[in-house]
Amino acid sequence: MVLEEHVTDLLPAYALGCLDEDEDEAGLVTAHLAVCPVCSAELRSYQAVGEALPLAISMSEPPPAIKQRLIAQVNQARVTPAQPQPTWWQRLEQGFRRISPAWGLASLVLIVALLVSNLLLLQQVSRLGAAAPQPVAARIVTMQHTEAAPDATGVLVLSKNGEYGTLMVDHLPPLGQDQQYQLWLIKDGKRTSGGVFSVNWDGYGSLEVTSPEWLANYSALGITIEPTGGSPGPTGAKVLGGNL
Amino acid sequence: MDYSTLDDAALIRLIAHARPEALSALYDRYGRLVFSLALHTLGDQALAEEITQDVFFRIWEKASTYRPEAAKVSTWLTSITRHRAIDVLRQRAVRPGLDRTEWSETQLMLVPDGADSPEEVTEQALKQELVRRAVALLPVEQSRVLALAYFQGLTHSQIANLCGEPLGTVKTRIRLAMQKLREILVDDDLDINRLDMR
Repeated sequence: MVLEEHVTDLLPAYALGCLDEDEDEAGLVTAHLAVCPVCSAELRSYQAVGEALPLAISMSEPPPAIKQRLIAQVNQARVTPAQPQPTWWQRLEQGFRRISPAWGLASLVLIVALLVSNLLLLQQVSRLGAAAPQPVAARIVTMQHTEAAPDATGVLVLSKNGEYGTLMVDHLPPLGQDQQYQLWLIKDGKRTSGGVFSVNWDGYGSLEVTSPEWLANYSALGITIEPTGGSPGPTGAKVLGGNL
Repeated sequence: MDYSTLDDAALIRLIAHARPEALSALYDRYGRLVFSLALHTLGDQALAEEITQDVFFRIWEKASTYRPEAAKVSTWLTSITRHRAIDVLRQRAVRPGLDRTEWSETQLMLVPDGADSPEEVTEQALKQELVRRAVALLPVEQSRVLALAYFQGLTHSQIANLCGEPLGTVKTRIRLAMQKLREILVDDDLDINRLDMR
């Protein structure tokens, strides 16, 4: 449910995080903020107040030992890197081994066999489906990462008629204040900007693509790192690319 | 390289590239603020030291996730500190107390560190004084509930129960306190948004 009226009275408490959970006022405010730029701007002013509050307390000098322990902890972490996270396959294997070493491997083999047969069945169904005329559905274009962003993923969701699209990316490295990501739409070797965007702390971001032509008219797309606000043409490292 | 001359975002970028010197410079810049906030919230020196170390180690681990357009580095640090300290209060089932609703207990006494010029010390002192005076202008009952909400992470209902006040009264006091502070610190030309929080 989205509140149609402004939530200005709730914003100070929302900025402090002191709204009661059982009244779900916080949820209502969050939903309202997503559609109300007036309240969003108002919230930012209260958040600025909240950010300043620590200045109002007495300052105490921390003991020097804290910094020494911190640096020692950092140096220790650098010497002993974290163990790599197990892959999904390894986690599955470990899970079965915990149940029973003898049964684990056999069960694993059986599950893999079932998965493979299901995939083959799905492919068969898909082929049968493709033979019959089907209404055009929204298209999804998956992008491939480059070495500049080895963990990044990206998809472009095109509207049914190919006119519009929304870009969603994940695990792109957050950039400094002076840089943004820029989407390029490629046609006949020419690159046209589809917009600029930033990502959050987790590397997630999205963009409503803007273009002079229907997106389906372009042959490929790419994302590069550019100065904030974008560039007339690609200047920085490419992080994601794909074919339309 | 003289890391003390780099801005906060640059230090974070270097920390993300595993430069302990950059973390050390960030600690020199904000260690006092983080420690003071933790100490003020918990009232326990040992816990405050532990949290201070935790916060900066978390920055070391998560520097690559920092997004400058989301918040200033100082805001990120104080936010992590505040939430960590409140978590500790809750984990240890520390009873919220009306005895910890004071703001600045002493006269402003900045201890300048070796990297600060006299001009920087004066500017920092001025910023702190502005905020302290603004809080001091609040009626006692408003600054008290504000402290309970901010430093102890209490909700409207919890504050109302603790203070023995009607829920509506607590809601109004918090709203009025924040509105007054906004009027002084944001709406006036002071523009607290531009202030660094060292």
